[in-house]
Amino acid sequence: MNHTLTIQLSGCEGAVIRALGLIERRGFSLDKCSVGEADSSGRVMEVQVSSSRPGDLLKRQLERLHDVYHVELKPAMKLNQRRPGIRPVTRSI
Amino acid sequence: MKPSTHLAPKLRSGSQILIEALERNGVKQIFGYPGGTIMPVYDALVGSGLKHYLCRHEQGAALAADAYGRVTRKAGVCIATSGPGATNLVTGIANAFMDSVPMVIITGQVPSPLQGTDAFQEVDIFGITLPIVKHSYIVRKVSDIPRIVNEAFQIAQGGRPGPVLIDLPKDISAGMGEAVYTPPVKLPEACPPDAAAMRKASEMLSQARRPLVIAGGGIAISDSVDVFRRFITRTGLPVTSTLKGLGVMPADHPNFVGMLGMHGNGAANHAVQNCDLLMVVGARFDDRATGHLAQFAPSARIIHLDIDPAEISKLRKADVAIVGELAPALEGIQPEQPANPGWRAQCAGWTKEFAWRYDAPVKGIYAPKLLRDLSNARPGELTITCDVGQHQMWVAQHCKFNDPLQHISSGGLGTMGYGLPAAIGAKVARPEATVVCVSGDGSIMMNIQELATLKRYGIDVKILLLDNSALGLVRQWQEIFFDGNYSEVHLADNPDFAGVARAFGIQARSIKEPEEVGEALEWLLSTDTAAMLHVSIDSMENVWPLVPPGKPNHKMLRSNP
Repeated sequence: MNHTLTIQLSGCEGAVIRALGLIERRGFSLDKCSVGEADSSGRVMEVQVSSSRPGDLLKRQLERLHDVYHVELKPAMKLNQRRPGIRPVTRSI
Repeated sequence: MKPSTHLAPKLRSGSQILIEALERNGVKQIFGYPGGTIMPVYDALVGSGLKHYLCRHEQGAALAADAYGRVTRKAGVCIATSGPGATNLVTGIANAFMDSVPMVIITGQVPSPLQGTDAFQEVDIFGITLPIVKHSYIVRKVSDIPRIVNEAFQIAQGGRPGPVLIDLPKDISAGMGEAVYTPPVKLPEACPPDAAAMRKASEMLSQARRPLVIAGGGIAISDSVDVFRRFITRTGLPVTSTLKGLGVMPADHPNFVGMLGMHGNGAANHAVQNCDLLMVVGARFDDRATGHLAQFAPSARIIHLDIDPAEISKLRKADVAIVGELAPALEGIQPEQPANPGWRAQCAGWTKEFAWRYDAPVKGIYAPKLLRDLSNARPGELTITCDVGQHQMWVAQHCKFNDPLQHISSGGLGTMGYGLPAAIGAKVARPEATVVCVSGDGSIMMNIQELATLKRYGIDVKILLLDNSALGLVRQWQEIFFDGNYSEVHLADNPDFAGVARAFGIQARSIKEPEEVGEALEWLLSTDTAAMLHVSIDSMENVWPLVPPGKPNHKMLRSNP
């Protein structure tokens, strides 16, 4: 499933890499990314991600970062092929 | 040339400002290890109001700060230099992150102009720790220090707690500036629990035939133990707990069915697999608790209470989610009728059926019975810190905890080497407590250097070392799941642990026979300084029950297959 998220975040050192790192670490493939300056001192980042995991979970995981102000999740666009390396959550060992 | 005198009264070093900012946040004790880039801070430490505990490895300092944070619910503070000092902290930071422990970490960094040049002892600790901190800072201006320190404590301790790192380049810690103290920023507070969700949860509990509650570590973290116990008394619901939820319910409470999960009690695992409604309070469906996730509590609808919205439906979909502080949510959930008496009787029957037994034929000292004897020797008084392995599971199974803050165990990360530094942190935080570190012969060697810290500061920690001359839990898995193909688990060449302890100036004894246990435990608990009791146990002893990986919780093995 593809998801597009608009992330408003602080302009502080590390804010962008912290958010991007979280996206991949939480099992989402980062397909597109653009970073720009927002109105004030912050930044706005638009990302397109794909994963079998739900987009709203990624939204909530991003929102708990201290330097993320707001996350908007656009409705999933289309079903996509499952991407290699990104598996649904099943735990064994 | 001296600086002009009219500015001198206002200007102070970044390190002096840092120490004052820590003091203003109520810090009394810190754990650390000095080195090159953090030297200005250690210079300012002399004569300050902070008591610094020199651990003998930075990992020991971080793990001590972790336990200090667990026991006090205030951020433990650890401090180290750049490069290897900082990387040695990493395991301790991850440990705090996984178990939602408040911690503030201060690392020295090479001077700002040298950052990014591969300078001596330069490492990007900010980058390395990004996945394992709640938040982190690199300080760029001396005047920012008070604000950053204030924020770090607020973030570390607020909401779902966690570690916050402050990386401090040497030109900032040694540089001069003006301290600007601003009032603490108000961080967003958790919303009050959703009234409609609480009504729905109450209805579901009223209608359920087989309701069960999981008590998680979040109950202790949010200081909601009393509210939770009142909720259970009011509703009559049966309760199981996670590893970190042990002690939330008194161990002998009639509604308590024990710990669930891989090494949980049979009663708890049968209750959870048979329930039709599962109310999960401050827990996160960890795989060690759930077993095979798709077959976990297969007939149950889920009510999930947590302060962290990102935990809701992460692993198991919640039918009703109540996000926010636990206490008001628990008070707001009011089922119209108490839990089904037939189901309660069924749970009580399982509790009786699966009660721990201590009459298994074993060679020598039986560790589960020894730990039960330890717990019974000072009922309700002991704070027990654990290392990781078989002994950790035996502590969880056989020691009785009536307060979750008395069971200090590395749950999420499973850090071997946690026990001894954790005992130091717990004892420093609560000098009046009797703190026992239960360790194994594998784990103790991971931070054995902290025996020197015990001696140096006269920290009265009791070490109960269970020595099976093996990496026991790995050996057990190799026995059961790898056809007895033992690989790198035998430790018959262990050192003489009592001799090692004595070399550090710690009194020590060794025992091997069951009849020695009672007197030796009394000796350990009665000494007025740090002591070690080294106990030799059978190297082939296993932890039972065991839910094999990938199996549902009720498919427990109760002995060797």
